[in-house]
Amino acid sequence: MTKFLYLLFILPLFFSCQSEKTISKYPAHVGDIQFDEKVDDANFKKCFVYPFSFQYYNFDGFQYKGEKLEIEKKLERLNLKSDKNPNGYITIRFIVNCEGKPGMFRIQQMNENYKATVFDKTFTNQLLEFTKSLNEWIPKEYLGIKINYYQYLTFKIKDGKISEILP
Amino acid sequence: MEKFPKYFLSIFILVIYTNLQAQVNCNSIEGENCKKACEIFNNDSGSQGSQQSQENLDKAIVLCPSFSDAYMEKSVPYLKRGDFVTWKKLIDKAVELDPANQLGYRGWCKLQFLRDYEGAIEDFDQLEKYRPENLGYSKNGNYNLYVAKAICYSALNQKEKAIKILENLFKTKNYNFGLYDYYQLGVTYFEITQYDKALENFEKQSKIYDFAENIYFKSKVAKIRNKDYLDLKNLALKTYDEGKYMKDAYTHHFNKVYRTQIAEL
Repeated sequence: MTKFLYLLFILPLFFSCQSEKTISKYPAHVGDIQFDEKVDDANFKKCFVYPFSFQYYNFDGFQYKGEKLEIEKKLERLNLKSDKNPNGYITIRFIVNCEGKPGMFRIQQMNENYKATVFDKTFTNQLLEFTKSLNEWIPKEYLGIKINYYQYLTFKIKDGKISEILP
Repeated sequence: MEKFPKYFLSIFILVIYTNLQAQVNCNSIEGENCKKACEIFNNDSGSQGSQQSQENLDKAIVLCPSFSDAYMEKSVPYLKRGDFVTWKKLIDKAVELDPANQLGYRGWCKLQFLRDYEGAIEDFDQLEKYRPENLGYSKNGNYNLYVAKAICYSALNQKEKAIKILENLFKTKNYNFGLYDYYQLGVTYFEITQYDKALENFEKQSKIYDFAENIYFKSKVAKIRNKDYLDLKNLALKTYDEGKYMKDAYTHHFNKVYRTQIAEL
């Protein structure tokens, strides 16, 4: 009973309480990813879905088996290079499901002046495939309930090479 | 069951911390519409990044187009969720309206979220023109912004410049030392192989707050000097496992060390 009351108390922090259906230029939450059958895997399992929107930073921050160092080591082995756009950032945002698997990936490409740009397609696809291969995210629970959460990886590109992985 | 409320409380505080928006003193704002905008801003009950919250901030901006905090607050969920293109457009507007109060935040975010060292330095340098006495602190409260600037120079491999900034800052009268200040200076000395100075700073750090990374570096110095380092290494691992390491809910700290690196020493 106590658990239920606490849950009721905290719920408004994770979703909008609007009862009226109005057209808005904003999604329910900034950054919400909607399923797109053209690009998303229909078999990607999601648990405890709408209207909740959990972010990785709501609970213990960035959590991957072996920590971020493991991701850095894996990427280093690939030795990826971009021929075009030597400097900038590629951000891949996705959902981590209750099994720690990633899915529903979205990409943002940005130059060093924070303007949208397009990196060479091969390079971007290599980073996307790399991100898809990372399947040891630590699943998160909220009050004993397994949840999905949003996570992103930003690849900082300097002189055509990945200099850092963020956040 | 007894433990549940405490556990819940800690989760609750973390969730609140990651969703809260700052409050503005509306009494200091001039003009009726801007006061109204300020009240909308302060009374916004939507969670950060929710449709309701973003719409409320838009209402505040329509009422008071010069209200920089509304632009800043509107930018935050984009930053935290990796949409840096949108974040930058909004935070630039906030800086344009109130550079003295927004430059430090933008500079810090450039460093924290994007490791844009040059961009952060530009902002800190501009800020210095408005606030030469005190640049203020990073949003997470961990660093004086001069320390943040030194971190940027260190990352750009200008170690001597970073050291100079930190040494001068630490000599400032009544300086409030941050949680990782001595550690950052110690690591910078370590990187240019000035191990005596490095160790001196790691020891000072231990007196303020000892954490796994700091112990790890002390262990590294001991190993380089062919002294017994294993006790320190094991202490660093134990400290890491106790959860005393460099943490941030959103990003990773500069000069953070991972458990595997400590174990492999």
